[in-house]
Amino acid sequence: MNKTLTIYMMAAVTLLAASCEKKLELANPQSLDAEVVFSTEDRVQKVLVGNYASLGSASMFGGDVLWMSELMGSDGELNWVGTFPDPRQIWGKNIQTNNSNVQATYAAAYRVIFNCNNIIASLPVVAAANRNKVQGEALFLRAMAYFELVKYYGEKPYVAGNTGTLKGVPLITAPGPSAPQSTEYNLPRASVEEVYVQIIKDFSDAESLLPNTNVVYANKSAAMLGLARVYLQQAKYPEARDAANRCLNAATGRSLRPDYADAFNNTANTTEDIFAIQVTVQAGTNSNFTFYSTGTYGARDGDIEVQPKHMDKYEAGDRRKNLFFFEADAFRVGKWQLNFRNVKVMRLAEAYLTRAECNVRLGTAIGATVAADIKRIRDRVALPEIASPTLAHVLKERELELAFEGQGLWDAKRLKQSIDGLPWDDNRLTFPIPLRERNINPSLTQNPGYN
Amino acid sequence: MRKLVVALIGCLAMVGFSAFAQKVVTGKVTDVKTGVALPGVTISVKGKTMAVSTDGQGVYSIDVPSENTILVFSYVGYASKEVVARNAGNIDLTESLADLNEVVVVGYGTTVRKELTGAIGRVKGEELKNMPVPDFNQALQGRTAGVFVEAENGKVGEGIKVRIRGASSVNSSNQPLYVVDGVPLAGGGFGASTADINFNDVESFEILKDAAASAIYGSRAANGVVVITTKRGKSGKTQFNLGTQYGTNTPTGKRGFLNAAEYVSFYQQAGRGAAEYHMRPDGGDNWFGFTDLNDAYSYFDGIINSRLNRYSGWRPFRGGVDWRSGQTDTPWEDLAFQDANTNQVELSAQGGNDKTRFFISGSVNNQDGILVGNNFQRMGARINLDHQVNNWLKIGLNSGLTKIVRNRVPDDNAFSTPMQIVALAPITPLRDTAGRLFDRPVTTYYNPLLEIEESNRRTEGFRNQGSIYAEIKILPELVLHTDLGLDMVIQNAENWWGPRTLVGAATLQGQGNATSSWFRNTRWMTNNYLSYKKTFAEKHKIDATVGFAYENLDERFTYVEGQDFPDISLKTVSSATTYSDGAGTRDENNLVSMFARVNYVFDEKLLVSGSIRDDADSRFGTNFKHGQFWSASLGYILSNEKFLSGVKFLSFLKPRISYGTTGNNTGIGYYSARSQYGSVTYGTSGGLGISQFGNDDLRWETVKQFNVGLDFGFFDNKLTGEVDFYNKRTDDMLLSTPVTSVSGTTSIFGNVGQMENKGLEISLNTVNISTRSLRWTTSINISHNRNKLLKLDGEQKEILPNDARFANALIVGQPIGVFYAPKFLGANPDNGDPQYMGPDGRPVRDYDDAQKMIIGDPNPDWFGGVTNTVNWKGIELSFLFQGVFGNQVQDGAGGFMSSSGEWFDNQTRDQLNAWKQPGDVTMVPQARLNWLGDFPTPSISSRYVYDASYVRLKNLTLAYNVPAKIMARMKLSSARVYVSGVNLLTFTDYPGWDPEVNTDYRSGNVNQGSDFYAAPQIKSWVFGINLGF
Repeated sequence: MNKTLTIYMMAAVTLLAASCEKKLELANPQSLDAEVVFSTEDRVQKVLVGNYASLGSASMFGGDVLWMSELMGSDGELNWVGTFPDPRQIWGKNIQTNNSNVQATYAAAYRVIFNCNNIIASLPVVAAANRNKVQGEALFLRAMAYFELVKYYGEKPYVAGNTGTLKGVPLITAPGPSAPQSTEYNLPRASVEEVYVQIIKDFSDAESLLPNTNVVYANKSAAMLGLARVYLQQAKYPEARDAANRCLNAATGRSLRPDYADAFNNTANTTEDIFAIQVTVQAGTNSNFTFYSTGTYGARDGDIEVQPKHMDKYEAGDRRKNLFFFEADAFRVGKWQLNFRNVKVMRLAEAYLTRAECNVRLGTAIGATVAADIKRIRDRVALPEIASPTLAHVLKERELELAFEGQGLWDAKRLKQSIDGLPWDDNRLTFPIPLRERNINPSLTQNPGYN
Repeated sequence: MRKLVVALIGCLAMVGFSAFAQKVVTGKVTDVKTGVALPGVTISVKGKTMAVSTDGQGVYSIDVPSENTILVFSYVGYASKEVVARNAGNIDLTESLADLNEVVVVGYGTTVRKELTGAIGRVKGEELKNMPVPDFNQALQGRTAGVFVEAENGKVGEGIKVRIRGASSVNSSNQPLYVVDGVPLAGGGFGASTADINFNDVESFEILKDAAASAIYGSRAANGVVVITTKRGKSGKTQFNLGTQYGTNTPTGKRGFLNAAEYVSFYQQAGRGAAEYHMRPDGGDNWFGFTDLNDAYSYFDGIINSRLNRYSGWRPFRGGVDWRSGQTDTPWEDLAFQDANTNQVELSAQGGNDKTRFFISGSVNNQDGILVGNNFQRMGARINLDHQVNNWLKIGLNSGLTKIVRNRVPDDNAFSTPMQIVALAPITPLRDTAGRLFDRPVTTYYNPLLEIEESNRRTEGFRNQGSIYAEIKILPELVLHTDLGLDMVIQNAENWWGPRTLVGAATLQGQGNATSSWFRNTRWMTNNYLSYKKTFAEKHKIDATVGFAYENLDERFTYVEGQDFPDISLKTVSSATTYSDGAGTRDENNLVSMFARVNYVFDEKLLVSGSIRDDADSRFGTNFKHGQFWSASLGYILSNEKFLSGVKFLSFLKPRISYGTTGNNTGIGYYSARSQYGSVTYGTSGGLGISQFGNDDLRWETVKQFNVGLDFGFFDNKLTGEVDFYNKRTDDMLLSTPVTSVSGTTSIFGNVGQMENKGLEISLNTVNISTRSLRWTTSINISHNRNKLLKLDGEQKEILPNDARFANALIVGQPIGVFYAPKFLGANPDNGDPQYMGPDGRPVRDYDDAQKMIIGDPNPDWFGGVTNTVNWKGIELSFLFQGVFGNQVQDGAGGFMSSSGEWFDNQTRDQLNAWKQPGDVTMVPQARLNWLGDFPTPSISSRYVYDASYVRLKNLTLAYNVPAKIMARMKLSSARVYVSGVNLLTFTDYPGWDPEVNTDYRSGNVNQGSDFYAAPQIKSWVFGINLGF
């Protein structure tokens, strides 16, 4: 009775059906397909910028690798009083293999390394003029990640010797298969020695490739100070001294802030910063603030308390002591008092202290005399000069100057100091290989003392 | 036998005399029980397409070919009646429990129950009407076999787990597909979407369970389909219905915590316990360096005193009083709850004539949650119209518009959520001496009441769901249906936190924080299908459908966060000093589908059915763009066979069998098939970071389901029922397989797994007593489901828990989400140390040395419900008991609230049984403060796993229908007063607040059976009146 209409409708339906097939390819308005990312220089550079965010994630230099070192190396100077069980395990040297901080830092470090390997493999698309800088930054970031890995997860500190047989962490320096489930990724642990060799190579290459200044990104002096840290862990004092000295020479225009307190809680890098993780209200995180500061400043309720044992170490008049603030029954670390502030990773003061320590150990005066370097540090915190500083003087200065900035555990280990009654190379002062990693990769051995 | 002869003669007569003159039959149709006229009853001539319906007075008039014609009187919710035209006239119909001739809505069409070959559960809207719950899923709980319903917690209008025949997937959604009047329900951004539906407008819920029923919905039907049909107008006089109810909400239970005196003495004990442990060579080994035990005691006494000073606000003085005075004893648990009311007003009208019919309704529903600050409001309006243009064209409209306002409370794991208030010490005052709410330091990080006093968390949502349709009768047997549907959700969440709140203080200047989010989800779609219905040679009945559908889903999200406000009264983002965060995203998804179904009935005995669907989805990987799904089924109405006609007690018997496939596309994000880089900001520079590791083979999960069932009716259908056995297997199950972090990521997504659900469903409906004045009916459903994970990626045998508080694991051969952790053996009688079962079965102290094993299963073995309805002279009593059996719940907060005083959170009362001296045999280890961090305090072991079986009086309604005589005087057509209650009694051994729980912050497929400061369910009592005029 109405065949025309029916035929018309059937035709419309068929047409509609045909046109729909085209609608099955939809691009994500919020993302780029991976295949196109490494095709242009601009995008490779953007991945490099993104990798600083990875390095600055909370589990890495966004804070965790700093406060975990201080908690584990607390030696009665810090108390963890927060409810979170995972940091308490680290502080109490009673870590379970499924500890979430231990897992997260391991994964976050390898994410940084993954990005670096991709960037390095894409260097051919980067214009020759920019290639050194891009490569240097990627190598710097990779070395930073491996250094944290080998220190936290390596079987023993480097200075324990037998570095060729001590287990480090899996070493991957080139992009692997695109499928992450590939068993090619189930690498065994490289030796501590092999990991250190890679780190030194990366820092050294970065040193030669990086420019002297590079806005907030890695520059030559940062690579040099990184290198100095590595040599110091190895107790290779001449190399450490020379790297620190090169850093100070390369750090043109850099100087200590006149007031110690001004070196911290900054929204932008200061003249004293060699390398810092950028934190803004919009992006980045500073987990040191979260745990060291108090509710008054928007942090948790003061999870980490400074004990009198630390406060008693300061000489009268030391301005560094004034930076601590007393709240909720305890002293708090003022370096991490405010929210949305950069995370200090490397300060110029460290280079002076490393150079001084090596010079005093070696009886040399490369770059400057020990006394001159120590004077620089003590002057600005209103402490009198020490005419001829001993190693003990230098180490004490280092301890107080860099207190709670993440070097605590590593300095204690290389100096073979006991920590909370445990010997410096105790099994409990190393992280376990995370349970989840061992569940996946049977070739990963566990560190002694864990199962 | 006589009936058969009459029918036979009738048929012969029809064939013989059909050429003769027509005859008119008229009469009135009434309800057998109440005598009330039934408008809108369909009267059709058997075997023909001719049909009429009754008017508003229940009167009908139909032309029949002969007086021997058989007329079929059918009406939704009533047993159909077949009457020979000669005997027709005034007819009374009986309300039915499970009527074999009732019309059942299936995908893209309808059928009658007796001809079904699939497994379909049906709940009439009338059964749920006026239940004081916001979400129809809660009202459905316990009413249908195979349908498991569990509200996550007692927050009003929030998440609800619905599982039809078990969990089919690990990573995809296990919720059913909801289709409202042909339009799938789009998801919202905040709160449960299903709470957007005013279920008083719903005529029926059809729950499609097996493949035969659901395969026509293709790639979204793996978890079953809930087809919701709203009420439509019936021709006749306009009828108004006014309903109103008012009542109260209270928690189903409270748990009980230490009071001030107990708290003080317990923690003094815990300090001593810590000292003793620390000095033991096999304990802390005195690494802290005390001189002796007394030195350690005095150190810990000092710590405890200083903490008690601190929490009581005494020293340093923060407006509290000395805890030693015993003056402060704050019942924090009580303070998490509020006096809560619930009320509802609703007005509907329906009516029309032969050409145009309408149903309209408007309603306001306001429910306070039991938690402080929690509230849910729904305003709804509906218009459903049908218009017969001429003898070949019918057009119509369905339109539902709702506004939802929610005052939400934070997730269960937030310090700011009301229930975490129980962690506060009873020595902490509610308010300081100046009358202000006591602020930190408290035992946690917060006083949640601050959050209530100084924050807003308001979500407003609008949902516009509806469609327009046309039905064109091309031939008498061939109808083209075409529709255009729309489901649009617009939600706006406005949050504000004042300077004293945690969030409001964590800003640059500590002067407050506010966010504004807009979410819009639009689904437009068109369904076009031809249906062909014809009976050939009397015995061959064909019902075929073929069609095509297209859907487009468009999601937009905009968000802005601002910080630091110049004044506490300025709370909208525009007053912010700094804009700290923002987002604006757009996501799209297209689905193109073709489908077909054929039902064939031979001689009213043999039923054969088949369906097929092709879905092409833009989200699938490039290697798998189209998914095909199909089903085949067979039924046999044995009771229509002559050889069974002699069996007097047997009224109906139909075995049926089905097999088919359905899919689940929900596990795949719209673009997850591709490896992608998204924007990452570092400092003030934009960068790129990998956001997704892709997979070109990514596709739907396939569920293959076998079902065998038996429908039966005995003793004149006084006992009817269904038994179904099913075996559902999920292939190509999407799994996020853990990979080593060395690869750059920690997991990858692919179609690798397999899962199985086997189960048994039994439904029984009985009419126990049926007289003119008394009618008692019972409806029982029991379901058993056994879930089993068959395969992960093929190599892995298990994905073990890596959560610090919960033990849900995936283990091949075991049900999804079993608890895998050490078995707790209580306190060591010698020294009070916690003990776990070691590998050799002997107790060990060190948690890491313990043997991990399956210590519980969050999936119930059995669940069901029993409804009894008694009608006596206008008084109606109906009650539903609902139960869940054989499942366990893990209390993830046990490590805080039942921890032997490991830290300062207030403890549950069972901790008073802590070990005190050698020889004590108890499940609670020595009270020990872990001040020095010298022992691990694991939250996951059988210590916090409990049996969570329960039986609950889910619903009770006592109603009185005012007799017709009185109503006539009051010019009313009906009047009903009632009291109704929900969750009135709960029988369980679960020691927590409520055994029906799955904490919202981690609820998922694997993460189930988890308690974490989850609010108890809501117990409601309401009083209501319904008037018809």
